[in-house]
Amino acid sequence: MRKICLALLALTAACSSAPPGGAPAAKSYKIAVIPQGATHEFWKSIHAGAIKASRDLKAEGVDVTVIWKAPLREDDREQQVQVVEGFLAQGISGIVLAPFDRRALVRPVEEAKRAGIPTVVLDSGLDSDQVVSFLASNNHRGGELAAEHMAKLLSGKGKVLLLRYQEGVASTEAREQGFVDGIKAYPGIELISSDQYAGGTRDTAKTAAENLLNRYGNQIQGIFTPNESSTSGTLLALEDVRKAGKITFIGFDASEAFIAAMRAGTLHGIVVQNPFRMGELGVRTMVDHLRGKAVEKKVDTGVQLISPETLDAADSQQLLHPPLAKYLEAGPGGF
Amino acid sequence: MNALSLRGIRKRFGGTVALDGVDLDVAEGEVLAVVGENGAGKSTLLNVIAGALEPDGGEVRPVPRSVAYIRQELSLFPHLTVAENILMGREPSRFGVIDGEAMAARARALLDEFGRPEIAADDIVGRLAPASRQVVEICRALAADARIILMDEPTSSLERADVVRLFASIRKLCARGIAVLYVSHFLEEIREIAARAVVLRDGRSVWAGTLAGVTDEGLIRHMIGRPVEAAFGDSAPEAPGEVVLSVVSIGGASFEVRRGEILGIAGLVGSGRTEMLRAVFGLDAVPGGELKIRDERVDARRLSPVASIRRGIGYLSEDRRIEGLFPHLSVRENLAMTRPEALDVGGWIERLRIKAGDVDDPVVTLSGGNQQKVLLARLLHQGASILLLDEPTRGIDVGTKAEIYELIRALAREGRAILMVSSYLPELFGVCDHLAVMNRGALSAVRPIDEWTPDSVLEAAIGGGSAAA
Amino acid sequence: MRSTTLRRLAPFVGLALVILVFAFLTGAPAQYLSVPNLRIVLAQTVIVAIGAVGMTMIIVSGGIDLSVGSTIALTSVAAALALHRSWPPVAAVTASIVLGGLVGAVNGLVVTRLRVVPFIATLGMLGVARGGAKWLAGEMTVPAPETWINELAVTFPSRAWMVVAPGVWLALILAVAASFALRRTVFGRHVFAIGSNEVAALACGIAVARMKIAIYSLAGCAFGLAGVMQMSRLRQGDPTVAAGLELDIIAAVVIGGGSLSGGQGGILGAMIGALIMAFLRNGCQQVGWPNYIQEIIIGAIIVIAVALESRARERGQGVR
Repeated sequence: MRKICLALLALTAACSSAPPGGAPAAKSYKIAVIPQGATHEFWKSIHAGAIKASRDLKAEGVDVTVIWKAPLREDDREQQVQVVEGFLAQGISGIVLAPFDRRALVRPVEEAKRAGIPTVVLDSGLDSDQVVSFLASNNHRGGELAAEHMAKLLSGKGKVLLLRYQEGVASTEAREQGFVDGIKAYPGIELISSDQYAGGTRDTAKTAAENLLNRYGNQIQGIFTPNESSTSGTLLALEDVRKAGKITFIGFDASEAFIAAMRAGTLHGIVVQNPFRMGELGVRTMVDHLRGKAVEKKVDTGVQLISPETLDAADSQQLLHPPLAKYLEAGPGGF
Repeated sequence: MNALSLRGIRKRFGGTVALDGVDLDVAEGEVLAVVGENGAGKSTLLNVIAGALEPDGGEVRPVPRSVAYIRQELSLFPHLTVAENILMGREPSRFGVIDGEAMAARARALLDEFGRPEIAADDIVGRLAPASRQVVEICRALAADARIILMDEPTSSLERADVVRLFASIRKLCARGIAVLYVSHFLEEIREIAARAVVLRDGRSVWAGTLAGVTDEGLIRHMIGRPVEAAFGDSAPEAPGEVVLSVVSIGGASFEVRRGEILGIAGLVGSGRTEMLRAVFGLDAVPGGELKIRDERVDARRLSPVASIRRGIGYLSEDRRIEGLFPHLSVRENLAMTRPEALDVGGWIERLRIKAGDVDDPVVTLSGGNQQKVLLARLLHQGASILLLDEPTRGIDVGTKAEIYELIRALAREGRAILMVSSYLPELFGVCDHLAVMNRGALSAVRPIDEWTPDSVLEAAIGGGSAAA
Repeated sequence: MRSTTLRRLAPFVGLALVILVFAFLTGAPAQYLSVPNLRIVLAQTVIVAIGAVGMTMIIVSGGIDLSVGSTIALTSVAAALALHRSWPPVAAVTASIVLGGLVGAVNGLVVTRLRVVPFIATLGMLGVARGGAKWLAGEMTVPAPETWINELAVTFPSRAWMVVAPGVWLALILAVAASFALRRTVFGRHVFAIGSNEVAALACGIAVARMKIAIYSLAGCAFGLAGVMQMSRLRQGDPTVAAGLELDIIAAVVIGGGSLSGGQGGILGAMIGALIMAFLRNGCQQVGWPNYIQEIIIGAIIVIAVALESRARERGQGVR
């Protein structure tokens, strides 16, 4: 009992010692960061970026805590809706969200706003004007970059194949559309299949790619895949059916395996985003908003094409190797 | 020397006393008959001896080992072969790999010994006729080298010829010094196979002695604790009314039933009696035939149970456990199954003298005879005026049987038409007005009961060059 | 007798039909029926096939295991982690198999000792194993260093004389062994006996509880091996992989004649069932049909296969 009294005293003392008008500097912020999933490296980079922002802000004297919470299943909108809803009652200051779906998450986000919790949206768009800011790569531009690079490598003629990711994901749909639009500028290049989907995991992507390679493998000169899992699965399939290196292959997103594949000449380019920056800016934008500063409604966090030739350039290396280990704890696997 | 002695065995299930002091001795090489009404505690007693139930009190000596319990197909593996069923748990094997030839040979030897070499060792048991399945169970007991064999109603699904063979092999078992506890409702058969009997009533052993020294009436008196009237009630035939059901070539049968009439269907097990009854009710599809219910003509291909119930036909299955009861539902719900509205549970319980603790208890808590009465009450509550009864007294104790005969006659007197399939000739002769005999899927002409004799029925049932006899 | 033969042949006829229909639908039958495509489909079938070997045992004994997909994810992570920590490949494979067996043993213990019905017990394990996989992997994929394990599920083996992936041979050997065990050994027949009539099995002196634990454990070992294949196929341990795969595996067993009420089923049928689904997926993709059509077709095939089977059974025996 006495301890509680003392604690209360200390608390009231702390509050009353703050200058009138409530200078935000003394406040502490709890910010929930909600990705689409947890296991892809992309989300790890956003996580690391968010942690970096919180540490830097702490050094600047702003107390920010980042709560990282991924939905349990990675392909389930309902789960993500539940995660957002779960935060509403937890006394958090703001939400940084990478919505799985441009519509399903609108209701919980607007409810959060009514409850006084603002949302910053990352990566994939949301059909709502109630959000503080939208930070994303220009995905359509990313698809165009891939198309331009493909055209260059094929010298403007040939047959290519687009293996899509999954139905209803705004970011990858924009990349796919960007690629389709980009290819139109080259009349010598024909897109012979663009209606097949890789599905949610590497395994489904590998299966789909194997099946398509059997059907079209002898006709095509190029393949484009719009995200990490579809690129990874297709790369495995190309290696397995001994077509790796023989078909021009451009993927999206970064991983160690892709870098190795580019060095081995089996992958001819990747379009990368800057998820680390996305996570960092997401948290910073939210804190700025909470502290009453004006923020941009839309922020392009940048896309860039990395080819085997530009692989070792300093800016490429920074994109490819965000300092994950510095900010994230390893699992019990401890690798 | 006694193979088994029981003294003062007691067993309760919750508030119900199932066994309340049973004494019993059976010698090596002896067949001891155990008789009693359903609910007298016979099944519980056998389960105690088999080791499936622990008694609450009393003494079992010696602690029985190698007991085989044969109970109406319940212990078979329908998906497996005859040989596998017979030798389950004792397969000849080397390093865990079954020696198929040795296994088939041993199974064949046992089947030969039982006199049924026509059952192949690699037949799938689920496809055998019921009588053959029983043989498989007995062969398994032989294979298990059991010293005590418990048989619960082993003949209820057997033809006479199989009963004879069963008894022959039971005698062989006795010659080997095996003790057999034989539970049955068929007193004639009991006298044929056993010299001594124990009578159970309300969980107690009330009488034990040699069968030669007691009449059937005496035995029944011990079983139900009071003298019995004529088992089949008065049989003054009423003048039959108009034809309410006529069947034209359904399941090999053509016949008519009148209001107030009880038509019996005799025949061997497997002769197609049940199939015919099911087809008339619309349970199984038939290729053709016609039914006339009162004035309504119905194509047999368009029959269905729903329509039959609407037309006032009630069907009682021969297998109440599988096709009749909803075991986990209450007595009340079971009664109301075909007609949910206007149920007077108490009235039916009183009229049929159903012994039930609470009408909201699951129906499985009732004894077999009372379960059967619940099913009959269901048909009556449904308002059926044409009753199709398949073996209405199977597995029912003598006292309840008499009540059911009386009930069936009363129902006929009230103007219902009744079709009754039975394998038990005395009850057909005691209850029916007319009789027809099924033989390999074809029904004989319907004749008044006075024109039949047990011999002529048997001849009609097995006639036509059957090798069964 | 004739109807039994027909029933035995039915799955083969179904498989042949699927292959032929799609060979024409793709418009390039030569390509669809080419050896490389057959290799692709076989390699894609390995995981479901190995899973189905274990699942057949469980289903024949009257049980079910919904935790297969999660167990495969868990063991694929375990194998990758072991390799990552420089364990010898043999040890990594063994560890995965043993881990799968342990998961199965827990299922068996929960079913027999705690008397939880298999559906619920393994539904619980579905969550526990999936969560365990994510925890073990630190919610990331675990890259596996290059070893011979990666060769197991490769579509075109580096040693040309193997013709198909080593994993395909492994699955085949496992299937033959399991089929023999189920048909010819005391253990296998007791598996059938328990599924056919558990009460009678007890009465015949079969240690039903011990048998069930053994069945779930053995099946778990098969799922562990499937996990190794999954890792080999993706060159990494992925804690999110194989979600929903349990339904594919159960479907394979059921298409192949397995009965969920126990006592019936066979390894050969389950293998055919697995192949039918793989050929369907491969075919739909090559025809260019969208995913939803594949899902509808596979769903319909399952129902049709089981409906045909139960009709055949009704005709085959006049016993109710």
